[in-house]
Amino acid sequence: MEPPEPLVQFEAVSYLYPRATRPALRNISLDIRRGEFVGLIGATGAGKTTLCLTLNGIVPQFYGGRFFGRITVAGMDTLEHPTGMLARYVGMVFQDPETQLIANSVEDEVAFALENLQVPREEIRARITYVLQAVRLDGYERKHPSELSGGQKQRLAIAAALAMRPALLVLDEPTSQLDPVGEQEVFAVADELNRELGVTVLMASHAAERLAEYATRLILLSAGSLVAVGSPDEIYPQIELLERHHLRPPQVARTFYLINKAGHPTGRLPVRLEDGLRALDSLCAQCTLTPPSIPPEPQGADGPALVSARDLKYTYPDGTRALNGVSLDIRAGEYVVIIGQNGAGKTTLIKHFLRLLEPTEGKVLIGGRDTREFTVGELARRVGYVGQNPDHQIFNASVKDEVSFALRHLGYPAAEIRARTSASLEALGLLDMQDMHPLALTRGDRARVVLAAVLALQPEVIILDEPTTGQDYRGAKSILDITRELHRQGKTVIVVTHHLYLMPEYARRVLVMGKGTLLLDAPLRQAYHQLDVLGATFLEPPQAVLLSRYLERYSAGELRLLTPEEVAACFIPGGVERGSHQIPESVA
Amino acid sequence: MSQEILGAERKVKAVGGVAIDGAPVAYLIALAAAVAALSFIPFSVILAAGGSFPLSQGIYALVGWILGPVAGGIACGIGRLIGVFVAPHTAGPVPLASVWGAAIASFAAGAMSTAREEGAPRRDWWWIPLSVFFVMEWLLFVGRAVLVNGVSVQVALLNTFVNWSAILLYVLPTRTLIARLIGSRNIAALAAGLFLGTWMIAGLSHLSVTVILYYILNWPPEVWATLIPIIPMENLFRSLVGTVIGTGVIAGLRATELVRPRSALY
Repeated sequence: MEPPEPLVQFEAVSYLYPRATRPALRNISLDIRRGEFVGLIGATGAGKTTLCLTLNGIVPQFYGGRFFGRITVAGMDTLEHPTGMLARYVGMVFQDPETQLIANSVEDEVAFALENLQVPREEIRARITYVLQAVRLDGYERKHPSELSGGQKQRLAIAAALAMRPALLVLDEPTSQLDPVGEQEVFAVADELNRELGVTVLMASHAAERLAEYATRLILLSAGSLVAVGSPDEIYPQIELLERHHLRPPQVARTFYLINKAGHPTGRLPVRLEDGLRALDSLCAQCTLTPPSIPPEPQGADGPALVSARDLKYTYPDGTRALNGVSLDIRAGEYVVIIGQNGAGKTTLIKHFLRLLEPTEGKVLIGGRDTREFTVGELARRVGYVGQNPDHQIFNASVKDEVSFALRHLGYPAAEIRARTSASLEALGLLDMQDMHPLALTRGDRARVVLAAVLALQPEVIILDEPTTGQDYRGAKSILDITRELHRQGKTVIVVTHHLYLMPEYARRVLVMGKGTLLLDAPLRQAYHQLDVLGATFLEPPQAVLLSRYLERYSAGELRLLTPEEVAACFIPGGVERGSHQIPESVA
Repeated sequence: MSQEILGAERKVKAVGGVAIDGAPVAYLIALAAAVAALSFIPFSVILAAGGSFPLSQGIYALVGWILGPVAGGIACGIGRLIGVFVAPHTAGPVPLASVWGAAIASFAAGAMSTAREEGAPRRDWWWIPLSVFFVMEWLLFVGRAVLVNGVSVQVALLNTFVNWSAILLYVLPTRTLIARLIGSRNIAALAAGLFLGTWMIAGLSHLSVTVILYYILNWPPEVWATLIPIIPMENLFRSLVGTVIGTGVIAGLRATELVRPRSALY
């Protein structure tokens, strides 16, 4: 059978942003055929967003710069046709749903672009009904977009794009700010649109496990160049290639890569969980399972509680009960991760630690003192806070000014400001960038600037709210490596995250929140295997945990493994070695 | 992997409605929204007529320096038009006059551009008709006060200090000097340029609005003397607002990869 005709053709495309010396895209030649679901992968700065923006002409028509080669979408040259016309063929959905929603109701949001194109009223009504059903938002027509969850907002953005009846739907990291349920919703809708309506989908994403499941083809970009194109089954088993380009393979693929490397050939590496489970069956039939010895759970830190909540309840002014009797103690020197679905109450809880919110009932204690006895300034010296979006905390014209800002305004002597600023810049590797404007830095570096500003105050407790959101694997690890170093220095670290697979190397204790209550407070290894509790707050454990649970049918008892390295170690004589098969230090 | 660029270079042009006069439409929308939002914040009362001045007056010039005369005038005009509806407490006695003041301020600021960018239209003469226009406005304003309403020349000159100082700054080579300061990479020079430039443009805008209001409301001569110390203080405040906001915005725009409007002064 003839392959479907290309919808998009890149012919030797290169592009340089204005004043840039290095191309953001270099010699890209590529076809995207009608009906494909294409995953676009690459580290931060690889050129994924630029490539997406070329498809409706925003690059270069909006940005300017130098453009080489030719791109056609549905036969239209993107340099010769206005973006308004290209937008009828290419629907775009970006990372942050908040920045895309402008109307006062769900149906108005869908209607907005159609009204601008003078589509007849009855046709607009018909399309609203149709697209809201397609993204499973029917019944929400009159809701204000701000009342929707993160996943619903992103689905609304997709609906608004879909209403234009695009031949190509481009989604640029649409799930990076969503919890696992939101992520699943967006992928499922994109998949449905692709399979049932024939919409061609191009999705840039770091969600390797999901892309392995849904994409028909992957495009790997690195430094603006096309490195590899192929199906997930062809790309994701190339672990070394992915690692060379700072990408994370699905955990199931990495697990079997390690098993293969240890001398147990398993054939083609599975990239999806169900394939991995089947491969485990074959493997266990061939060789003996030797579970690695798991060290006992680490003991909790000694000493009095540094951060405490006592029967904490909080109700927002609109009547929403966000916290419903939370009690906990965090001791000095602990590294705690707080997990839970969007809306579980995580951010509301940590805002109480900073006295950005005051309890409706109950109390919060820092060092044994009620937070109501502190001023916000006093608390800022003891509790540092790094928010999800670093740009919300950056407002100075240089990195140095940003890091020293709070010190200057809290009245520290000039010599101490200089010393603390330098020390903080050095600790975060920002000395060379101290005179640069923070907006000239990458997102990862901007996050480090905020962290440096917090560190300059030398707080006892450091809270990071979704620090890995929007970061690629390398960026996320580099931020978490800093938290590990701070923890080693004796700081108390509290991290809120949805990225469960990242935390075994770092955290020791997990607080699972759901519907404003504390569902579980347990050591990390124990918590990750409480699948019912995780499920109650719509969290999915990492694939390695699911592989471990599956392996238990071949084992005498519970395995409680956390990482691909630990699962692979079950098939490696001699157990776990330090190095490539290392058990994470924090949980060992 | 070849490092050589293989494809043929294409001429990049904005097709359709992506840009207005070389300024991206998205910038117009963002800055119009900023003007509308700042319309909510009052910073001084309007004596006799009531109401108050909006803080947005501090950024009209900045919008022109960022977007150029045409796009800047449109952005400020739209932003202020929305502002007078959503924030009537700062709309002034004749709301349309305040919309005109916003548009002419940004237009005059944008016309300071030396437009050195390739493909930009040559506009280094636009200041001449504008200067003639502002001088005519001043003559109409002061002429009516002195010749018809009996305001003394000394009081009229002191009252309109902000206006005639602005005209002088605009007519003389100081206009080009201010443009260069705003284009400077030195943050102190940038701040100085923003301060002087906002003083100048706000003074011209004030003149353009006041002359209309005077012919409609014709306030008594006693008010002229009362306003002598107040008007410069208000203009000083506008200049400080323009400097503080402008320094951060321009430093940020320079630091990012965002496209630079064709007639931008920064």
